[in-house]
Amino acid sequence: MRLELDRIGHAFLGRAVFEDLTLSLGDGEIVALVGPSGCGKTTVLQIAAGLIDPLRGRVRRHYGGHAVVFQEPRLLPWLTARDNIAYGLAARGISKAERRAMAERRAAEVGLLARDLDKYPAELSGGMRQRTAVARALAVDPETVYFDEPFTAVDVGLRRVLQDLIIAACARDKFSALFVTHDLAEAVRLAHRIVVLSDRQEGIVAERILPGMPGERDDRSVFDTVQAWAKDPAFAALFDGDRQ
Amino acid sequence: MRHGLAFLDWVGRYLWSGWAGAAGLFCIAAAWQAGHELYGSFILPAPLETVREVAKLAQDEAFRYAARETAERAGLGFALSVLIGTVAGIAAGYSFAAMRLMRPVVTVILGVPPIAWIVLALIWFGASGGTAVMTVVVASLPISFAGGLEGVATRDRTLDAMARSFDAGPFMRLRTVTVPHMISYLFPAWTTTAGSAWKVTVMAELLSNAGGLGGDLASARALFDIPRVTAIVLVTVGFALLTEYALLQPIRNRLEQWREAGQPWGVKR
Repeated sequence: MRLELDRIGHAFLGRAVFEDLTLSLGDGEIVALVGPSGCGKTTVLQIAAGLIDPLRGRVRRHYGGHAVVFQEPRLLPWLTARDNIAYGLAARGISKAERRAMAERRAAEVGLLARDLDKYPAELSGGMRQRTAVARALAVDPETVYFDEPFTAVDVGLRRVLQDLIIAACARDKFSALFVTHDLAEAVRLAHRIVVLSDRQEGIVAERILPGMPGERDDRSVFDTVQAWAKDPAFAALFDGDRQ
Repeated sequence: MRHGLAFLDWVGRYLWSGWAGAAGLFCIAAAWQAGHELYGSFILPAPLETVREVAKLAQDEAFRYAARETAERAGLGFALSVLIGTVAGIAAGYSFAAMRLMRPVVTVILGVPPIAWIVLALIWFGASGGTAVMTVVVASLPISFAGGLEGVATRDRTLDAMARSFDAGPFMRLRTVTVPHMISYLFPAWTTTAGSAWKVTVMAELLSNAGGLGGDLASARALFDIPRVTAIVLVTVGFALLTEYALLQPIRNRLEQWREAGQPWGVKR
Protein backbone atom coordinates (compact mmCIF):
# COMPACT_ATOMS: atom_id res chain seq x y z
CA MET A 1 0.00 0.00 0.00
CA ARG A 2 1.32 3.41 -0.92
CA LEU A 3 -1.44 5.50 0.59
CA GLU A 4 -4.22 4.84 3.05
CA LEU A 5 -6.98 7.28 3.88
CA ASP A 6 -8.70 5.95 6.98
CA ARG A 7 -12.24 7.25 7.73
CA ILE A 8 -11.36 10.82 6.86
CA GLY A 9 -13.90 13.60 6.97
CA HIS A 10 -13.72 17.26 6.10
CA ALA A 11 -15.89 20.35 6.30
CA PHE A 12 -15.62 23.90 5.05
CA LEU A 13 -17.05 26.52 7.42
CA GLY A 14 -19.07 23.88 9.21
CA ARG A 15 -20.58 22.41 6.05
CA ALA A 16 -19.55 18.78 5.71
CA VAL A 17 -17.99 17.86 2.38
CA PHE A 18 -17.64 14.15 3.07
CA GLU A 19 -17.56 11.83 6.06
CA ASP A 20 -15.97 8.48 6.78
CA LEU A 21 -14.09 8.17 3.56
CA THR A 22 -11.72 5.23 3.33
CA LEU A 23 -9.50 4.81 0.31
CA SER A 24 -6.24 3.08 -0.43
CA LEU A 25 -3.75 3.17 -3.26
CA GLY A 26 -1.66 0.12 -4.16
CA ASP A 27 1.86 -0.07 -5.59
CA GLY A 28 1.92 1.03 -9.21
CA GLU A 29 -1.85 1.38 -9.23
CA ILE A 30 -3.80 4.18 -10.91
CA VAL A 31 -7.03 4.90 -9.06
CA ALA A 32 -9.49 7.23 -10.70
CA LEU A 33 -11.64 9.23 -8.31
CA VAL A 34 -14.81 10.34 -10.09
CA GLY A 35 -17.85 12.25 -8.94
CA PRO A 36 -20.06 15.17 -9.91
CA SER A 37 -18.57 18.62 -9.56
CA GLY A 38 -18.60 20.04 -6.05
CA CYS A 39 -18.60 16.63 -4.36
CA GLY A 40 -15.18 17.11 -2.78
CA LYS A 41 -12.88 15.20 -5.14
CA THR A 42 -10.25 17.92 -5.09
CA THR A 43 -10.47 18.13 -1.30
CA VAL A 44 -9.78 14.39 -1.02
CA LEU A 45 -6.76 14.84 -3.29
CA GLN A 46 -5.46 17.83 -1.32
CA ILE A 47 -5.79 15.88 1.92
CA ALA A 48 -3.99 12.90 0.40
CA ALA A 49 -1.20 15.17 -0.89
CA GLY A 50 -0.90 16.90 2.50
CA LEU A 51 -1.92 20.32 1.20
CA ILE A 52 -4.73 20.51 3.74
CA ASP A 53 -5.28 18.58 6.96
CA PRO A 54 -8.44 16.50 7.32
CA LEU A 55 -10.81 17.39 10.15
CA ARG A 56 -11.20 13.74 11.08
CA GLY A 57 -9.47 10.48 10.27
CA ARG A 58 -5.91 9.48 9.47
CA VAL A 59 -3.73 9.65 6.39
CA ARG A 60 -0.92 7.12 6.11
CA ARG A 61 1.68 7.57 3.40
CA HIS A 62 4.16 4.80 2.67
CA TYR A 63 6.31 6.42 0.03
CA GLY A 64 9.36 8.58 -0.39
CA GLY A 65 8.08 11.49 -2.41
CA HIS A 66 5.01 12.68 -4.25
CA ALA A 67 4.09 15.27 -6.84
CA VAL A 68 0.85 16.99 -7.78
CA VAL A 69 -0.40 17.96 -11.23
CA PHE A 70 -3.06 20.61 -10.77
CA GLN A 71 -6.07 21.48 -12.88
CA GLU A 72 -4.30 24.64 -14.05
CA PRO A 73 -0.62 24.29 -14.99
CA ARG A 74 0.45 26.55 -12.08
CA LEU A 75 3.81 27.36 -13.66
CA LEU A 76 5.82 30.21 -12.19
CA PRO A 77 5.53 32.93 -14.87
CA TRP A 78 9.00 34.33 -14.04
CA LEU A 79 10.83 31.07 -14.69
CA THR A 80 11.55 29.50 -18.05
CA ALA A 81 9.97 26.15 -18.90
CA ARG A 82 13.27 24.47 -18.01
CA ASP A 83 13.45 26.07 -14.56
CA ASN A 84 9.77 25.32 -13.98
CA ILE A 85 10.33 21.63 -14.72
CA ALA A 86 13.32 21.67 -12.37
CA TYR A 87 11.41 23.45 -9.58
CA GLY A 88 10.79 20.34 -7.49
CA LEU A 89 14.44 19.36 -7.91
CA ALA A 90 15.55 22.81 -6.76
CA ALA A 91 13.36 22.42 -3.67
CA ARG A 92 15.27 19.23 -2.97
CA GLY A 93 18.61 21.02 -3.23
CA ILE A 94 19.88 19.23 -6.34
CA SER A 95 22.76 20.95 -8.17
CA LYS A 96 22.07 23.17 -11.14
CA ALA A 97 23.82 21.03 -13.75
CA GLU A 98 21.99 17.92 -12.57
CA ARG A 99 18.70 19.82 -12.58
CA ARG A 100 19.23 20.91 -16.16
CA ALA A 101 19.97 17.38 -17.35
CA MET A 102 16.99 15.87 -15.57
CA ALA A 103 14.64 18.64 -16.75
CA GLU A 104 15.74 18.12 -20.34
CA ARG A 105 15.20 14.36 -20.14
CA ARG A 106 11.70 14.76 -18.66
CA ALA A 107 10.83 17.48 -21.16
CA ALA A 108 11.69 15.13 -24.02
CA GLU A 109 9.52 12.43 -22.45
CA VAL A 110 6.44 14.64 -22.41
CA GLY A 111 7.07 15.86 -25.97
CA LEU A 112 8.49 19.32 -25.32
CA LEU A 113 11.07 20.51 -27.83
CA ALA A 114 14.51 21.63 -26.63
CA ARG A 115 13.99 25.09 -28.12
CA ASP A 116 10.83 25.59 -26.03
CA LEU A 117 12.70 25.10 -22.78
CA ASP A 118 14.12 28.63 -22.74
CA LYS A 119 10.68 30.16 -23.18
CA TYR A 120 8.58 31.64 -20.42
CA PRO A 121 5.13 30.15 -19.73
CA ALA A 122 3.47 33.17 -21.38
CA GLU A 123 5.13 32.14 -24.66
CA LEU A 124 3.87 28.55 -24.51
CA SER A 125 0.51 27.24 -25.71
CA GLY A 126 -1.97 25.86 -23.20
CA GLY A 127 -1.11 22.29 -24.10
CA MET A 128 2.61 22.93 -23.80
CA ARG A 129 2.08 24.49 -20.38
CA GLN A 130 0.24 21.42 -19.14
CA ARG A 131 2.99 19.19 -20.59
CA THR A 132 5.49 21.29 -18.66
CA ALA A 133 3.45 20.81 -15.48
CA VAL A 134 3.42 17.03 -16.03
CA ALA A 135 7.18 17.04 -16.65
CA ARG A 136 7.69 19.06 -13.45
CA ALA A 137 5.78 16.44 -11.47
CA LEU A 138 7.64 13.51 -13.04
CA ALA A 139 11.04 15.20 -12.67
CA VAL A 140 11.20 14.53 -8.92
CA ASP A 141 10.88 10.76 -9.54
CA PRO A 142 7.76 10.58 -7.38
CA GLU A 143 6.49 7.30 -5.99
CA THR A 144 2.98 8.69 -5.96
CA VAL A 145 1.49 11.29 -8.28
CA TYR A 146 -1.74 13.17 -7.65
CA PHE A 147 -3.60 14.39 -10.70
CA ASP A 148 -6.34 16.94 -10.11
CA GLU A 149 -8.44 17.03 -13.31
CA PRO A 150 -5.28 17.95 -15.21
CA PHE A 151 -6.64 17.75 -18.74
CA THR A 152 -10.03 19.46 -18.53
CA ALA A 153 -8.80 22.56 -20.35
CA VAL A 154 -7.06 20.84 -23.29
CA ASP A 155 -8.69 19.72 -26.52
CA VAL A 156 -9.82 16.14 -27.11
CA GLY A 157 -6.91 15.10 -29.30
CA LEU A 158 -4.26 16.45 -26.98
CA ARG A 159 -6.05 14.99 -23.99
CA ARG A 160 -5.60 11.50 -25.46
CA VAL A 161 -1.93 12.17 -26.05
CA LEU A 162 -1.42 13.35 -22.48
CA GLN A 163 -3.40 10.40 -21.09
CA ASP A 164 -1.22 7.98 -23.06
CA LEU A 165 1.82 9.79 -21.76
CA ILE A 166 0.75 9.23 -18.17
CA ILE A 167 -0.11 5.57 -18.80
CA ALA A 168 3.33 5.05 -20.33
CA ALA A 169 5.11 6.98 -17.56
CA CYS A 170 3.30 4.97 -14.87
CA ALA A 171 4.22 1.67 -16.52
CA ARG A 172 7.85 2.79 -16.87
CA ASP A 173 8.48 4.57 -13.57
CA LYS A 174 6.14 2.36 -11.50
CA PHE A 175 4.51 5.21 -9.63
CA SER A 176 1.05 5.03 -8.08
CA ALA A 177 -1.44 7.67 -9.02
CA LEU A 178 -4.66 9.12 -7.71
CA PHE A 179 -6.40 10.63 -10.73
CA VAL A 180 -9.31 12.95 -10.01
CA THR A 181 -11.62 13.50 -12.95
CA HIS A 182 -15.29 14.08 -13.73
CA ASP A 183 -14.91 12.45 -17.13
CA LEU A 184 -15.86 8.79 -16.82
CA ALA A 185 -14.39 7.90 -20.23
CA GLU A 186 -11.05 9.33 -19.16
CA ALA A 187 -11.20 7.33 -15.92
CA VAL A 188 -12.05 4.11 -17.78
CA ARG A 189 -9.23 4.71 -20.21
CA LEU A 190 -6.34 5.14 -17.81
CA ALA A 191 -7.20 3.63 -14.42
CA HIS A 192 -6.84 0.21 -12.85
CA ARG A 193 -9.65 0.94 -10.45
CA ILE A 194 -12.43 3.53 -10.27
CA VAL A 195 -14.02 4.88 -7.11
CA VAL A 196 -17.10 7.08 -7.16
CA LEU A 197 -17.49 9.83 -4.57
CA SER A 198 -20.99 10.68 -3.47
CA ASP A 199 -22.28 14.22 -3.75
CA ARG A 200 -24.37 13.74 -0.60
CA GLN A 201 -21.57 13.35 1.96
CA GLU A 202 -21.88 9.56 1.84
CA GLY A 203 -18.22 8.95 1.05
CA ILE A 204 -17.47 6.39 -1.62
CA VAL A 205 -20.63 4.98 -3.15
CA ALA A 206 -19.20 2.61 -5.74
CA GLU A 207 -15.95 0.93 -6.65
CA ARG A 208 -15.13 -0.91 -9.88
CA ILE A 209 -11.99 -2.77 -10.86
CA LEU A 210 -11.48 -2.44 -14.58
CA PRO A 211 -10.52 -5.49 -16.61
CA GLY A 212 -7.24 -5.44 -18.50
CA MET A 213 -4.43 -2.92 -18.21
CA PRO A 214 -4.62 0.87 -18.82
CA GLY A 215 -3.62 1.66 -22.35
CA GLU A 216 -4.72 -1.76 -23.64
CA ARG A 217 -8.42 -0.97 -23.70
CA ASP A 218 -9.66 0.09 -27.11
CA ASP A 219 -12.11 2.92 -27.71
CA ARG A 220 -14.98 0.51 -28.31
CA SER A 221 -14.66 -1.14 -24.90
CA VAL A 222 -14.21 2.21 -23.16
CA PHE A 223 -17.39 3.49 -24.81
CA ASP A 224 -19.36 0.32 -23.98
CA THR A 225 -18.25 0.43 -20.34
CA VAL A 226 -19.29 4.06 -19.96
CA GLN A 227 -22.64 3.34 -21.67
CA ALA A 228 -23.32 0.39 -19.39
CA TRP A 229 -22.50 2.42 -16.30
CA ALA A 230 -24.81 5.22 -17.35
CA LYS A 231 -27.72 2.97 -16.36
CA ASP A 232 -26.09 2.04 -13.03
CA PRO A 233 -27.62 3.94 -10.07
CA ALA A 234 -24.17 4.29 -8.46
CA PHE A 235 -23.06 6.45 -11.36
CA ALA A 236 -26.36 8.27 -11.80
CA ALA A 237 -25.14 11.52 -10.25
CA LEU A 238 -22.37 11.76 -12.83
CA PHE A 239 -24.88 11.79 -15.67
CA ASP A 240 -27.72 13.71 -14.09
CA GLY A 241 -27.14 17.45 -14.20
CA ASP A 242 -30.43 18.28 -12.41
CA ARG A 243 -29.22 16.97 -9.09
CA GLN A 244 -26.81 19.85 -8.58
CA MET B 1 29.38 33.21 -24.24
CA ARG B 2 25.70 32.99 -25.17
CA HIS B 3 24.75 34.62 -21.88
CA GLY B 4 27.34 37.36 -22.43
CA LEU B 5 25.87 38.17 -25.83
CA ALA B 6 22.34 38.20 -24.43
CA PHE B 7 23.50 40.58 -21.71
CA LEU B 8 25.15 42.91 -24.24
CA ASP B 9 21.96 42.79 -26.31
CA TRP B 10 19.98 43.84 -23.26
CA VAL B 11 22.43 46.63 -22.32
CA GLY B 12 22.35 47.97 -25.88
CA ARG B 13 18.58 47.94 -25.97
CA TYR B 14 18.33 49.65 -22.57
CA LEU B 15 20.75 52.43 -23.58
CA TRP B 16 19.00 52.85 -26.92
CA SER B 17 15.66 53.31 -25.16
CA GLY B 18 17.31 56.31 -23.47
CA TRP B 19 16.75 58.36 -26.66
CA ALA B 20 13.02 58.50 -26.01
CA GLY B 21 13.65 59.70 -22.46
CA ALA B 22 16.19 62.27 -23.68
CA ALA B 23 13.61 63.59 -26.15
CA GLY B 24 11.22 64.19 -23.25
CA LEU B 25 13.90 66.01 -21.27
CA PHE B 26 14.75 68.23 -24.25
CA CYS B 27 11.07 69.16 -24.53
CA ILE B 28 11.27 70.46 -20.97
CA ALA B 29 14.48 72.32 -21.85
CA ALA B 30 12.70 73.95 -24.83
CA ALA B 31 9.83 75.12 -22.64
CA TRP B 32 12.37 76.41 -20.13
CA GLN B 33 14.16 78.33 -22.89
CA ALA B 34 10.84 79.83 -24.00
CA GLY B 35 10.16 80.95 -20.43
CA HIS B 36 13.60 82.48 -20.24
CA GLU B 37 13.07 84.44 -23.47
CA LEU B 38 9.75 85.69 -22.14
CA TYR B 39 10.86 86.81 -18.68
CA GLY B 40 14.60 87.38 -18.97
CA SER B 41 17.65 86.12 -17.09
CA PHE B 42 16.81 87.53 -13.70
CA ILE B 43 13.54 85.63 -13.33
CA LEU B 44 14.57 82.48 -15.20
CA PRO B 45 18.17 81.95 -16.39
CA ALA B 46 18.50 80.09 -19.71
CA PRO B 47 19.19 76.33 -19.71
CA LEU B 48 22.60 76.88 -21.30
CA GLU B 49 23.49 79.51 -18.71
CA THR B 50 22.46 77.07 -15.97
CA VAL B 51 24.54 74.26 -17.45
CA ARG B 52 27.55 76.60 -17.56
CA GLU B 53 26.90 77.48 -13.92
CA VAL B 54 26.76 73.75 -13.06
CA ALA B 55 30.10 73.23 -14.85
CA LYS B 56 31.57 76.12 -12.85
CA LEU B 57 30.17 74.76 -9.58
CA ALA B 58 31.57 71.31 -10.33
CA GLN B 59 35.06 72.86 -10.12
CA ASP B 60 34.26 74.28 -6.70
CA GLU B 61 35.58 72.10 -3.85
CA ALA B 62 33.01 73.37 -1.32
CA PHE B 63 30.10 72.68 -3.68
CA ARG B 64 31.34 69.14 -4.42
CA TYR B 65 31.48 68.53 -0.68
CA ALA B 66 27.93 69.87 -0.25
CA ALA B 67 26.65 67.68 -3.09
CA ARG B 68 28.31 64.61 -1.59
CA GLU B 69 26.80 65.41 1.80
CA THR B 70 23.32 65.62 0.29
CA ALA B 71 23.87 62.42 -1.70
CA GLU B 72 24.93 60.58 1.46
CA ARG B 73 21.93 61.81 3.42
CA ALA B 74 19.45 61.06 0.64
CA GLY B 75 21.06 57.64 0.07
CA LEU B 76 20.98 56.74 3.75
CA GLY B 77 17.41 57.98 4.10
CA PHE B 78 16.36 56.01 1.01
CA ALA B 79 18.10 52.83 2.18
CA LEU B 80 16.62 53.01 5.67
CA SER B 81 13.08 53.82 4.59
CA VAL B 82 13.09 51.15 1.88
CA LEU B 83 14.55 48.54 4.23
CA ILE B 84 12.31 49.24 7.21
CA GLY B 85 9.20 49.91 5.11
CA THR B 86 9.57 46.82 2.93
CA VAL B 87 10.36 44.42 5.77
CA ALA B 88 7.49 45.77 7.88
CA GLY B 89 5.21 45.60 4.83
CA ILE B 90 6.13 41.96 4.15
CA ALA B 91 5.55 41.07 7.80
CA ALA B 92 2.18 42.81 7.75
CA GLY B 93 1.26 41.07 4.50
CA TYR B 94 1.86 37.64 6.03
CA SER B 95 0.22 38.33 9.35
CA PHE B 96 -3.34 39.54 9.46
CA ALA B 97 -2.93 40.77 13.05
CA ALA B 98 0.21 42.76 12.18
CA MET B 99 -1.60 44.29 9.22
CA ARG B 100 -4.53 45.40 11.40
CA LEU B 101 -2.07 46.89 13.89
CA MET B 102 0.25 48.62 11.45
CA ARG B 103 -2.21 50.09 8.96
CA PRO B 104 -3.48 52.88 11.25
CA VAL B 105 0.09 53.57 12.38
CA VAL B 106 1.05 54.14 8.76
CA THR B 107 -1.96 56.39 8.22
CA VAL B 108 -0.91 58.45 11.23
CA ILE B 109 2.66 58.76 9.91
CA LEU B 110 1.28 59.68 6.50
CA GLY B 111 -1.05 62.25 8.00
CA VAL B 112 1.67 64.25 9.76
CA PRO B 113 2.97 66.82 7.24
CA PRO B 114 6.70 66.43 6.40
CA ILE B 115 7.29 70.02 7.47
CA ALA B 116 6.17 69.10 11.00
CA TRP B 117 8.66 66.23 11.03
CA ILE B 118 11.40 68.66 10.06
CA VAL B 119 10.55 70.89 13.02
CA LEU B 120 10.47 67.89 15.38
CA ALA B 121 13.69 66.49 13.94
CA LEU B 122 15.34 69.88 14.34
CA ILE B 123 14.57 69.77 18.03
CA TRP B 124 15.80 66.17 18.33
CA PHE B 125 18.87 66.22 16.10
CA GLY B 126 19.72 69.92 15.83
CA ALA B 127 21.09 71.38 12.60
CA SER B 128 22.78 68.18 11.48
CA GLY B 129 22.38 65.56 8.76
CA GLY B 130 20.20 63.51 11.09
CA THR B 131 17.30 65.89 10.52
CA ALA B 132 17.35 65.32 6.77
CA VAL B 133 17.77 61.56 7.07
CA MET B 134 14.97 61.20 9.59
CA THR B 135 12.61 63.35 7.55
CA VAL B 136 13.28 61.23 4.44
CA VAL B 137 12.73 57.99 6.36
CA VAL B 138 9.51 59.10 7.98
CA ALA B 139 8.11 60.78 4.87
CA SER B 140 8.69 57.86 2.52
CA LEU B 141 8.47 54.82 4.77
CA PRO B 142 4.70 54.37 4.29
CA ILE B 143 5.13 54.04 0.51
CA SER B 144 7.47 51.04 0.78
CA PHE B 145 5.30 49.63 3.53
CA ALA B 146 2.21 49.77 1.35
CA GLY B 147 4.15 48.23 -1.56
CA GLY B 148 5.41 45.32 0.52
CA LEU B 149 2.01 44.78 2.12
CA GLU B 150 0.10 44.77 -1.17
CA GLY B 151 2.73 42.60 -2.82
CA VAL B 152 2.48 39.89 -0.19
CA ALA B 153 -1.28 40.17 0.23
CA THR B 154 -1.92 39.72 -3.50
CA ARG B 155 0.52 36.82 -3.96
CA ASP B 156 -0.85 33.87 -5.91
CA ARG B 157 -1.85 31.32 -3.30
CA THR B 158 -2.33 28.60 -5.90
CA LEU B 159 1.36 28.94 -6.80
CA ASP B 160 2.18 28.81 -3.11
CA ALA B 161 0.21 25.55 -2.81
CA MET B 162 2.11 24.22 -5.83
CA ALA B 163 5.42 25.05 -4.13
CA ARG B 164 4.25 23.36 -0.93
CA SER B 165 3.31 20.25 -2.89
CA PHE B 166 7.01 19.99 -3.78
CA ASP B 167 7.97 20.42 -0.11
CA ALA B 168 9.53 23.83 -0.74
CA GLY B 169 10.40 25.50 2.56
CA PRO B 170 9.12 28.93 3.64
CA PHE B 171 12.28 30.71 2.52
CA MET B 172 12.26 29.08 -0.92
CA ARG B 173 8.56 29.93 -1.32
CA LEU B 174 9.29 33.55 -0.39
CA ARG B 175 12.20 33.68 -2.84
CA THR B 176 10.61 31.92 -5.81
CA VAL B 177 6.88 32.64 -5.46
CA THR B 178 6.30 35.79 -3.42
CA VAL B 179 9.30 38.04 -4.14
CA PRO B 180 9.12 37.92 -7.97
CA HIS B 181 5.44 38.84 -7.70
CA MET B 182 6.19 41.63 -5.20
CA ILE B 183 8.74 43.26 -7.50
CA SER B 184 5.98 44.87 -9.54
CA TYR B 185 4.57 46.42 -6.36
CA LEU B 186 7.89 47.37 -4.77
CA PHE B 187 9.61 49.08 -7.67
CA PRO B 188 7.02 51.84 -8.16
CA ALA B 189 7.21 52.40 -4.39
CA TRP B 190 10.99 52.46 -4.46
CA THR B 191 11.24 54.86 -7.42
CA THR B 192 8.79 57.21 -5.69
CA THR B 193 10.87 56.94 -2.52
CA ALA B 194 14.10 57.65 -4.42
CA GLY B 195 12.60 60.74 -6.07
CA SER B 196 11.17 62.11 -2.85
CA ALA B 197 14.38 61.30 -0.92
CA TRP B 198 16.27 63.92 -2.95
CA LYS B 199 13.52 66.50 -2.66
CA VAL B 200 12.96 66.03 1.05
CA THR B 201 16.69 66.03 1.82
CA VAL B 202 17.23 69.36 0.10
CA MET B 203 14.14 70.80 1.77
CA ALA B 204 15.20 69.60 5.22
CA GLU B 205 18.73 70.93 4.70
CA LEU B 206 17.39 74.30 3.60
CA LEU B 207 15.08 74.61 6.59
CA SER B 208 17.51 73.24 9.17
CA ASN B 209 20.52 75.06 7.77
CA ALA B 210 22.46 71.80 7.86
CA GLY B 211 24.75 72.36 4.89
CA GLY B 212 24.49 70.20 1.78
CA LEU B 213 22.76 71.37 -1.40
CA GLY B 214 19.89 72.73 0.66
CA GLY B 215 22.24 74.93 2.67
CA ASP B 216 23.82 76.10 -0.58
CA LEU B 217 20.38 76.87 -1.94
CA ALA B 218 19.60 78.96 1.14
CA SER B 219 22.72 81.09 0.73
CA ALA B 220 22.19 81.45 -3.05
CA ARG B 221 18.69 82.71 -2.33
CA ALA B 222 20.00 85.18 0.23
CA LEU B 223 22.50 86.47 -2.35
CA PHE B 224 19.88 86.58 -5.13
CA ASP B 225 22.24 84.42 -7.20
CA ILE B 226 19.49 83.10 -9.51
CA PRO B 227 21.73 81.09 -11.91
CA ARG B 228 23.20 79.35 -8.87
CA VAL B 229 19.67 78.50 -7.61
CA THR B 230 18.67 76.95 -10.96
CA ALA B 231 22.03 75.19 -11.14
CA ILE B 232 21.45 73.57 -7.74
CA VAL B 233 17.94 72.56 -8.79
CA LEU B 234 19.40 71.05 -11.96
CA VAL B 235 21.99 69.10 -9.96
CA THR B 236 19.29 67.74 -7.63
CA VAL B 237 17.09 66.71 -10.55
CA GLY B 238 20.15 65.16 -12.20
CA PHE B 239 20.79 63.08 -9.09
CA ALA B 240 17.16 61.94 -9.03
CA LEU B 241 17.26 61.00 -12.72
CA LEU B 242 20.50 59.13 -12.18
CA THR B 243 19.18 57.03 -9.28
CA GLU B 244 16.06 56.16 -11.19
CA TYR B 245 17.46 55.39 -14.64
CA ALA B 246 20.99 54.25 -13.82
CA LEU B 247 20.18 52.28 -10.69
CA LEU B 248 16.55 51.26 -10.17
CA GLN B 249 15.19 50.87 -13.70
CA PRO B 250 18.00 48.61 -14.99
CA ILE B 251 17.48 46.26 -12.02
CA ARG B 252 13.75 46.19 -12.57
CA ASN B 253 14.18 45.68 -16.29
CA ARG B 254 16.48 42.72 -15.64
CA LEU B 255 14.17 41.15 -13.06
CA GLU B 256 11.04 41.55 -15.12
CA GLN B 257 12.22 40.16 -18.44
CA TRP B 258 9.59 37.45 -18.16
CA ARG B 259 6.89 40.13 -18.39
CA GLU B 260 8.26 41.33 -21.70
CA ALA B 261 8.12 37.76 -22.97
CA GLY B 262 4.36 37.73 -22.45
CA GLN B 263 3.77 40.80 -24.58
CA PRO B 264 2.52 40.32 -28.14
CA TRP B 265 4.75 40.99 -31.11
CA GLY B 266 5.14 44.63 -31.97
CA VAL B 267 4.71 45.83 -28.40
CA LYS B 268 8.05 44.32 -27.47
CA ARG B 269 10.57 47.01 -28.27
